[in-house]
Amino acid sequence: MMDQLSTLFSAGIDLKAVLLLAAVGLIAIGAAGMVLSRDLFRIVLALAIAEAGANLMLVIAGYRFDAVAPILTGSTTDQLMVDPVPQAMVLTAIVIGVGIQAFALSVVVRIKQTYGTLDMRELRLLMTAEIDTEAAVPAQAGQDAPLGDRPIPAPGMNPMTSTRGGEGKP
Amino acid sequence: MNAIALPVALPLLAAFLIPSLNRSVPPLARMIGPATLLACLYIVLDLALSAEVPVSVAMGGFLPPLGINFYGDQVALMFAALVAAACLLLWPWGVGQDGQEQDIRIHSLYLLLAASASGLALSGDLFNIYVFYELVSVASFGLVAARNTGACFIASFRYLTLSALGTVLALSGIALVYSQTGTLNLAQLSLLAPDTLNNPMGLAAFALILIGVGVKAELFPVNAWVPEVYATTTVRVTALLAGLVSKIAVLVIVRALVLVFPGEEARALMMVLGMLGVFAGEFSAWRATDFNRMLAYSSIGQLGMVLVAFSIPGDAGLLAGLALALHHLIVKPGLFLLADQWAGALSRLQGRAWGGTSQMFAALLFVLFALSLVGVPPLPGFWAKLQLVLALVAQQSALSHLALAVILLATVVEANYLFRFSVSLFGSQQGSSQGGGSLLKLADSALLGLVLIAAAIFITPLADGLQTMATEMADVALYTNTVLEPNDMAAGEVGAGQ
Repeated sequence: MMDQLSTLFSAGIDLKAVLLLAAVGLIAIGAAGMVLSRDLFRIVLALAIAEAGANLMLVIAGYRFDAVAPILTGSTTDQLMVDPVPQAMVLTAIVIGVGIQAFALSVVVRIKQTYGTLDMRELRLLMTAEIDTEAAVPAQAGQDAPLGDRPIPAPGMNPMTSTRGGEGKP
Repeated sequence: MNAIALPVALPLLAAFLIPSLNRSVPPLARMIGPATLLACLYIVLDLALSAEVPVSVAMGGFLPPLGINFYGDQVALMFAALVAAACLLLWPWGVGQDGQEQDIRIHSLYLLLAASASGLALSGDLFNIYVFYELVSVASFGLVAARNTGACFIASFRYLTLSALGTVLALSGIALVYSQTGTLNLAQLSLLAPDTLNNPMGLAAFALILIGVGVKAELFPVNAWVPEVYATTTVRVTALLAGLVSKIAVLVIVRALVLVFPGEEARALMMVLGMLGVFAGEFSAWRATDFNRMLAYSSIGQLGMVLVAFSIPGDAGLLAGLALALHHLIVKPGLFLLADQWAGALSRLQGRAWGGTSQMFAALLFVLFALSLVGVPPLPGFWAKLQLVLALVAQQSALSHLALAVILLATVVEANYLFRFSVSLFGSQQGSSQGGGSLLKLADSALLGLVLIAAAIFITPLADGLQTMATEMADVALYTNTVLEPNDMAAGEVGAGQ
């Protein structure tokens, strides 16, 4: 398989460069997915893609196409071996990545149980509203809307009348 | 010497013992966390005072650059001690914010955080740093989500995605470094860097690591999580994240900058991002309408200032950065701890100082911290900012003069919103008084205030100590010699290990 690939790319194309490009592409796809997706589950999947890209990059960092797997078999022939350090590191990185994804999914489950939705934009608004209510500040209509009484209402004015969330927590 | 591994090993052991101990002997399970942290604090202080620092310890007897080593110079040991001290001070003693009994699992998360943060401070290997950084991340996600409200699950998820994206970037930066040099040991990298990383590839690797680790350091483009998380989670966790975790991340960035990426462009990149952080943070804080988010944005601005300071070459920059970082480590948790009683809209807190003895005391503490944060002369904040201004003036470049202008403007803005709020605290009382609350609740905040005043009194010996630390940290040759040329003691340990 690898031999076929090498012959395929022997016509002037560096296989390593192609793989590096693929790794960068995977990271870019993952990052774009994490930023652009609205669905929490898709964000976790995009994270998995980005992590795969980073792991591929780490593997390429020490890979040689003209070498064998770094296993000592007892044979005395001097054969080049692939650098085993990045492979060991990739194993660690994969395990850590899986842990993070599992944690993310467990949080997603809790969010779904609490709010019944997985839409990130909706949830962000809900969270901001919840923070505003707890802090007893008037809910902000949006980035472009005027803020109203800034910064602190003038003396003599009851600040409680301008809050939407009521007393909040003492 | 091998005791240097204990600040990492002991909390990890205790963290995984706690759940099973809690089934059989619950009181012991509640005691074991603080006891472990105290032991760590003792071990680190003992090391810092007795052994000849800097010291490098090879794990398992495999000598660097092949093996993994812990490097303990004064700065690293000081931060390891601060990790234990801060976790002890901000420990979830007994009751939570809502008055319920704390879940014992939070103790485990605290210990995980303490172990991995000490590991970050001490580690001398880039991949090891990545692993510890991920451990810090996971522990902090758990702590943020531990309050069990809907908003804090969402904040935790958003924090997690941003942090995980940062980790992916940092990991690809590490992969770039490895592909260029074939090693990840910081000491060996510092030898190879002038030849192999002094190019666009090296700069790209630094940018990736800076952005990746910068998520925890509240760096400018990746700090969207800060106001959300600090406004939703418990004040103790907030104080821990803003005070401790951000500084440890900054320490990692500075180690990479000093040892591996000493290029001019790398420093310029960090300074520009720091300036943007100062700008964005301070102006957002000025615009904030509630206590937690005002402090959160102000924290972004302060961290930007720390990064600007560390991006100045030479030990003048390191001295200013260390001073600012330590100052912020004391002041910001102190301010966040006040939020336990003061959470909510700034307008609601008007005249709060007259709501009883404890409220007056809290208001006075706020004024003390605010004065130091802005930089009013007798307090240590003034000295730290003065070091930064002096270091920036000494640099003859347009960028550092721009940074100077930004810092001074930010100080004015900072003074404006902090003093505005201080004045309103002592203003005429509005509405019903929600005063009361016991003085005991302010004990931890008051302790930090005492530390601040003590620092103001003993500023001269403190300044000398920080100067030695900065000089030692800037000395790349010392680092490589300590790690790569094992002295008799390290050689003896290899013998013992075999």
